[in-house]
Amino acid sequence: MTFTPTELEAEGAAGGEAIGEPASSSPPASGRRLVRTFLRDRVAVACSAYILIVILMAVFAPLLVKLSGYGPLEFDQSAVDSNLGGLPLGWGGGIGADHWFGVEPGNGRDIFARIVYGARVSMTIALLATALTSVLGVVFGLVAGYFGGRIDMVVSRVMEFLMAFPALIFMIAVLSALPAENRQALLVVVISFFGWPYLARIVRGQTMSLKQREFVESAKASGASSAQIIFKEILPNLSSTIIVMTTLAVPGYVGTEAGLSFLGVGVVPPTPSWGQMIASSVPWYAVDPAYFLFPGAFLFLLVLSFTVLGDRIKKIAESGEARS
Amino acid sequence: MIRFLVNRLLGMAVVLFLVCVFTYVIFFVLSPDPAVQICGKNCTPEAIDRIRANLGLDQPFWSQFWTFLTGLFAGRTYGTGANLIDCAAPCLGYSFQSSQPVTEMILQRLPVSATVAIGAAVLWLLAGVSAGLVSAVREGRFTDRFITGLTLTGMSIPNYVLGLSLQFLLVVTLGWLPFPHAVAFGDDPVQWFANFLMPWIVLSIGAAAVYTRLTRANVIETLQENYVRTARAKGLRPGLVWRRHALRPALTPIVTIFGMDFAGLLGGALITETVFGLNGVGKLAADSITKNDQPVIMGVTLLAAFLVVVGNMIVDLLYTTIDPRVRVGSAT
Amino acid sequence: MAKRTTRAAVAVAAAALLLTACSNGGSDSGGSAGDEPTTGGTIHMLQNADFSYLDPARGFDGGVNAFYRLIYRGLTMQAAGDAEDPNAIVPDMAESLGTASEDGLTWTYTLKDGLAFDNGDPITSAEVAFGISRAWDPEIGIGSPWLKNTIEAPADYLGPYQSGEHPGIETPDEHTIVFHLTEPFPEFDNVLAQPNAVAFPVGTGAGDEFINDVIASGPYTVETYTPGSLIRLERNDHWDADTDDVRKAYPDAWEFEIGLDGATIDERLMAGQGADANAISGRIQPATLARIQAPDLADRVETADAYCTTYMGMNTTKAPFDQVEVRQAINYAIDRASLQTASGGNQLADPATTITPPAVSGHKDFDLYPSDDYTGDPEKARELLASVGLEDGFSFTLDIRSQPIMQAQAESIQQALAGIDVDVELNVIDTSTYYETIGTPSQQSDAAITGWCPDWASSASTMVPPLVDGRLITDKGNSNLAQINDEGINARIDEIKAMTDLEAANVEWGEFDEEVMALAPMAPLLWEKGVFLPGGNIANYIPNTSMTDLTIIGLKDPSVG
Repeated sequence: MTFTPTELEAEGAAGGEAIGEPASSSPPASGRRLVRTFLRDRVAVACSAYILIVILMAVFAPLLVKLSGYGPLEFDQSAVDSNLGGLPLGWGGGIGADHWFGVEPGNGRDIFARIVYGARVSMTIALLATALTSVLGVVFGLVAGYFGGRIDMVVSRVMEFLMAFPALIFMIAVLSALPAENRQALLVVVISFFGWPYLARIVRGQTMSLKQREFVESAKASGASSAQIIFKEILPNLSSTIIVMTTLAVPGYVGTEAGLSFLGVGVVPPTPSWGQMIASSVPWYAVDPAYFLFPGAFLFLLVLSFTVLGDRIKKIAESGEARS
Repeated sequence: MIRFLVNRLLGMAVVLFLVCVFTYVIFFVLSPDPAVQICGKNCTPEAIDRIRANLGLDQPFWSQFWTFLTGLFAGRTYGTGANLIDCAAPCLGYSFQSSQPVTEMILQRLPVSATVAIGAAVLWLLAGVSAGLVSAVREGRFTDRFITGLTLTGMSIPNYVLGLSLQFLLVVTLGWLPFPHAVAFGDDPVQWFANFLMPWIVLSIGAAAVYTRLTRANVIETLQENYVRTARAKGLRPGLVWRRHALRPALTPIVTIFGMDFAGLLGGALITETVFGLNGVGKLAADSITKNDQPVIMGVTLLAAFLVVVGNMIVDLLYTTIDPRVRVGSAT
Repeated sequence: MAKRTTRAAVAVAAAALLLTACSNGGSDSGGSAGDEPTTGGTIHMLQNADFSYLDPARGFDGGVNAFYRLIYRGLTMQAAGDAEDPNAIVPDMAESLGTASEDGLTWTYTLKDGLAFDNGDPITSAEVAFGISRAWDPEIGIGSPWLKNTIEAPADYLGPYQSGEHPGIETPDEHTIVFHLTEPFPEFDNVLAQPNAVAFPVGTGAGDEFINDVIASGPYTVETYTPGSLIRLERNDHWDADTDDVRKAYPDAWEFEIGLDGATIDERLMAGQGADANAISGRIQPATLARIQAPDLADRVETADAYCTTYMGMNTTKAPFDQVEVRQAINYAIDRASLQTASGGNQLADPATTITPPAVSGHKDFDLYPSDDYTGDPEKARELLASVGLEDGFSFTLDIRSQPIMQAQAESIQQALAGIDVDVELNVIDTSTYYETIGTPSQQSDAAITGWCPDWASSASTMVPPLVDGRLITDKGNSNLAQINDEGINARIDEIKAMTDLEAANVEWGEFDEEVMALAPMAPLLWEKGVFLPGGNIANYIPNTSMTDLTIIGLKDPSVG
């Protein structure tokens, strides 16, 4: 259940308001102190380190592959056993000096290379989807909360409608009907399309309370335009909420991309993706567990790191605000 | 109350209608021509035209949509003459790839999905609430931190990774459980339980984690409320304080979120059923994606939307019953 | 023949079955089950896809053809799976094979005595003629095309429900039936062994009506049918074993469990618990191969040869495939050993060098584009490309189906051709519209991977010609993917088809195969074989990759399960 809606909703219901309320009654906490608190938190640092590693892996994929010797699409017949249906030769799915993480059954493609290139897909899609969701969520949330009235009603109805949707099933349905070209861009758009209301709802709520505060009133009195008030006065006050919400959203998107690829409507082969690798490992799990363990572990740890990180950042932000 | 009910029902009808339009438009615009698919390899332009006419695909969009909508309530037919196909209400469409009405296909597979979903729901409620309670009671201590760690893990593990890992461990390596396949409860209750255990665990793990966190947060918050402190100060027995004053308010939000989560289970069932090869509605959807059997995908989507919308409404109703403070206007 | 099913998706499902199902086992598989089959019990067939149609006039693929044999009877049929020549055609309801007139245009058959449908009504020549005429119905007759291709009928004849009796089929008396052909067709006995040439009670079987009540002429009839999940067959008490030389019909009932995952099926067969000891299924998954090496399982394993050829057709109307040197170069460059591993290894596939697979009569063994261990000969390929000024290579688009094995095969070709600087772009087409797309010349790309199986295995006449006959190129539903239209080829096809000595004709088909491959309109890639794991209590199971004969299988001990 790594799919955004339920979790974010739960988080929103449980923690969202909790972060929201203090934010509206206090100025943003000091950045430097937050960073210091964060650095003292060993778990959070470990998670960040892992995320950094995956990002570096994604960025330097071509270089790493040169080091390991095999590209993500390169076949290696010598690494698999033709007599046994193409089962990798050797221990742990063919782990060795040649293939650090072993090879895929059948065609002998290098799993390390595919993991490294798969990281590109996972990170690109998750981060782009997060960015797009945040922009949509913040803009619609601000607009609805600040202007209220009819605009608010329309935006709120659309949000309700989207949240009432079985998002995963619908994403699958839409993606399966769409042509296969530009799959990565489509994934970002589809994920964001169903993701933004969860952030927008909270931004809207906080904007509504912020706009009644004195500093907004005084800005209004001094003749600032709506755009100025929204972006100069209100937005800065929402930053910690937005950071927490987006960090909490990333693991959902990583999981969603992998899940969609797992179901065959995500990234199109031969482009490697972790979800797709796990999907093709299903028939082999009994004889070649390494085939699903590698992508499974990388995926799980990435989602876990983002989840824990989001959790920590939320706590730090809360405590920071509470103390100031 | 009645006005509230009528309002909610109307709202639900509007959302369902919009879902229908939205889904139908997307499939209408994006799907490959069903006539071409049906016609297959030895196709001639005349054959395609005949199929199109038979299925009413040559009609304008709104007329087709109207036929679809009426099919939902009154049933409809496909084709003409000797090859007339009857699709009884509620007709969600007809799969030409498997020569079956979609509704029938879904109904056939619903029992398996229901078994998986209900079992998982029971499991996550029990596990989630009890772990949350333990965690709250032991707040800050090792047990609490251990459970919190577990919940983060449970929230993060993709259910297909967990499913494969469990299967490898429990079935292949240890041989404790059979390779899952749907056994009817009446045939062999023990086998039934053993076969469905892994799917239940896999489907419930994410929700169980979320519920643990929710319960923990709610209980801790409630325990700090004045009336609980008062009750304690009055010297009420701890058990009584817990039951009467802490648990009820703490669990109310759980009940409400449960309805929605349960209704939205179809999404998770899709992956769980695929991993374990269980022939439920989720697997039906997954298979239809591979075969690009659009009427079935659309039917399942509509069913899922229907469940979520109805689930939302039940939650709203429950909420007003449990918590009288929430009234008509604020329910949205 | 799966290629001909009208609904593409069904063809896919069918292809899976067919690959699972295929081959006469040739060498070692016959009778290896040891114990003799006995009468009684229920055999379970575990399968993923539902049968395409229960109506034999509609369905036409290996899986369902095997199923039809249990229920329907025609005048002739393919010999039993354990026969000396399982490809042969033998009489079924007819006393003997047909007698052709001097000019080869009239074929006469005589029915046996004592034939009856499951409702007790006798089967006479009228019922046979009626059943066969259903193939002309525009809605129903979407199965095998051979009846329509050979029997004379006016262009406006639309089957018995719309146009009445078939004018090209005569029934002078209850036992005699006479067919008039449009032109001589020496293999007409094969046409009547097609699944749609079976008897039906006059007037029945229109539309979807009979799905609820199948009227059987074979040893079994449908007891329950739940589309997508279960078909249960029970005995047809009116079937008389004395009238049937082929079908043994040992078990009392059949259960086809449908909609199971390939992995689930393999797990159940390996475990073999309870009724699963009485179960059979199609080809096992490549991943299962490693697990059936255990001695107790290895004893149960049966293998079967390929009846179909997986090939890459090269569109000769598009440059540079219009040059024979380029097509030959591709044939040299392809690494068939890597294709083999990508398709499940040497247990499940052999590298193909001819169009006709070895198991099909008329196969000639040759390899015009040889290389060491079938790994390809890039040197030779480069030379050929250089000879036409393409030493720097070129690029082309390859149509493939969105299906894992085919993608793996395409990626292998991509890799091999990269070695001669030929850049392959993959055009992944949705499974349900794949055959439609590549069968439409205006839509097909430069090349496509697909498979072809003969409509009957007793000769190569339906194996090679449909793929290269230039006169068969059509705007839709085209099988000649290369779009090659060579006068020499066309003339040879006519010449061999006219031969009445079928054995001599088969020798010629082998020669013809080689002549065609010299022009290289396609690159044969693989012969995909089958490995099967029947339950421990199954006897006389002789799997076949084109159509496993279900009518001769029995249980060793009917009391098990």
